[in-house]
Amino acid sequence: MDLDFTPAEQAFRAEVRDWLAAHVPSRLPSMDTREGFEAHRAWEARLADARLSVVSWPEEHGGRSASPIEWLIFEEEYWASGAPARVSQNGIFLLAPTLFTFGTPSQQAAFLGRMARAEDVWAQAWSEPEAGSDLAALSSRAVKVEGGWLLHGRKTWSSRAAFASHGFGLFRTSGSRHHGLTYVLFSLEDVAVRPIAQLDGTPGFAELLFDGVFVPDAMVLGEPGQGWKIAMATTSSERGLTLRSPGRFLATAERLVALARTADPALQDRAARCLVDAEAYRLHTFGAVKGELGATTSMGKVFWSELDLRMHALAMDLLGPCAAETPWFDGYLFSLAGPIYAGTNEIQRNIIAERVLGLPR
Amino acid sequence: MNFSFTSEQLAFAAAVREVLRDRCDPADRVSCWKELTELGFFAALAPEEAGGLGLSLIDVVPALEETGRAAMPGPVVETLVAAPYAPQGVTRVSLLVEGVALDADLADLVVDVTGPSAVPVRPEPRRALDPGRQPYGVTVAGEPERLPGSAEALLRRATVGTAAQLVGVARQLLARSVEYARTRTQFGRPIGAFQAVKHQLADVAIAVEFAAPLVHRAALSVDEQDAPRPDRDVSAAKAAAGEAASLAARTALQVHGAIGYTGELDLRFWLARTWSLGAAYGTSAEHRIRVREAVFGA
Repeated sequence: MDLDFTPAEQAFRAEVRDWLAAHVPSRLPSMDTREGFEAHRAWEARLADARLSVVSWPEEHGGRSASPIEWLIFEEEYWASGAPARVSQNGIFLLAPTLFTFGTPSQQAAFLGRMARAEDVWAQAWSEPEAGSDLAALSSRAVKVEGGWLLHGRKTWSSRAAFASHGFGLFRTSGSRHHGLTYVLFSLEDVAVRPIAQLDGTPGFAELLFDGVFVPDAMVLGEPGQGWKIAMATTSSERGLTLRSPGRFLATAERLVALARTADPALQDRAARCLVDAEAYRLHTFGAVKGELGATTSMGKVFWSELDLRMHALAMDLLGPCAAETPWFDGYLFSLAGPIYAGTNEIQRNIIAERVLGLPR
Repeated sequence: MNFSFTSEQLAFAAAVREVLRDRCDPADRVSCWKELTELGFFAALAPEEAGGLGLSLIDVVPALEETGRAAMPGPVVETLVAAPYAPQGVTRVSLLVEGVALDADLADLVVDVTGPSAVPVRPEPRRALDPGRQPYGVTVAGEPERLPGSAEALLRRATVGTAAQLVGVARQLLARSVEYARTRTQFGRPIGAFQAVKHQLADVAIAVEFAAPLVHRAALSVDEQDAPRPDRDVSAAKAAAGEAASLAARTALQVHGAIGYTGELDLRFWLARTWSLGAAYGTSAEHRIRVREAVFGA
């Protein structure tokens, strides 16, 4: 057991750090405004030009075939540099792993390269008004027609959908509950999008209305009816390693320590605890990269979402009444969503209890 | 970078587990001592030329977790970490910290960690938190004899070894609570089917899952020449392991209900071990303060 990086890994870290130091833009407008969305897309294209937007992907799709450790190194440097949040996040971290596993070569060729350059930006379409934590209760349908499918129904809380070009989600094609669901990719061009203002007033997510929207057969990911199994592979990515690398929490914790430098010891205690917890998450991830992502990612999801919330709540306590003038407030609002999205922490605790500990349903 | 245990490290732990399973009596402070001695466990950290195995602390961390899992009583960690300092042939060691030495009555060597030095002592028993770890108030009754080696390293290893045991205690408390929740029926269902119970146990699993890597890092740091901040790592490990074990103990008691509160169920040995080990070599609260001072300056 050791925590030593190889010379090649150290060289990769240095390259990433140097490139970011030279290229990271000053603060961009919120990605949930039209202007900010486009600025974030332009940033993704610059990353892609340096082959840094999707380092863990194979070369043919714009990556470098980086190892999991190298990907973690990239993430540490990315967040430490103060680089912008990733507008392509839902695509590159959630859909892409599913495309690599279940997509046909022509689907991979059609979507991955464009996604890596943020030419296409993907929104997820899981939740429905009556299917949130109980995702299997969803009722949006895909009806078979010649050459494709007609989509009907309503999806909601679709992150990035206000400005994104594409979406992915589950539609019922037969059966009930987990059976007979189909994983469908779609262009947002033909979908009625109703942006929904979030707590900060910007349309970070949207409602999607499908009124017989046609998608060709080539837009079905995997076999029709196998959508639940395929989607679970994606949500496990969302809860686990791929969406929430330790680097971002470590960077936040280190900024928090700087913010608390002259604070009362009672507040410094909370900051020091956050730093240790961020380090624990990092170490845990280093230990886990060799293993399979499974139900244990639920433990990580509860841990990082509560850590992120504690860190930003402490920043609010440190900053006082004018906290909203700092980026900490935007971070605080976002951290409040952490225990809700990607499967609420209550659902995660059920998964831990039932699938990790073996308690009865 | 390989932050996983090697097959040798895990095999050593499996051998310890095999010895302790069904045999370790948590009420007998010398239980299984002979068997673990024969396995080379207590001499694991001593150099090979002194009859030891020449291992590093990280090599024995999984085995130490097993001694915690079994609630093995007595001066297990102390004897293990003092082996590189002690003359050959010493069976049990007690460490003297701020006037208190655990299990001093069983030790043929008492080491004052500020030396380190061997000290002749007059021990007076104090009321124990844990029947498996008996504290003694100690009066030094003769000339201390300086031992070779670093006092700093001895205390760090004792602290991390104790943290590793706490992780093991917490894992066993969780396993027993899960087992009880699967079998105890109320309202016509196993109590483990209720979310109020499930979520408490899930929180214990999370606390243990994220405390253990801090203990593993600290074990690496104490034996590494150029570790940047070994004391901070040690304190983070002890604090997190102590808090995880404390949560595991409180939850175990709550899940077991009244039967857990009795002297009739042996759960009490594991509960008490979280108290004694939690207090040994600095409480979680003390180590949290040390971490804060290391991060921000005293």
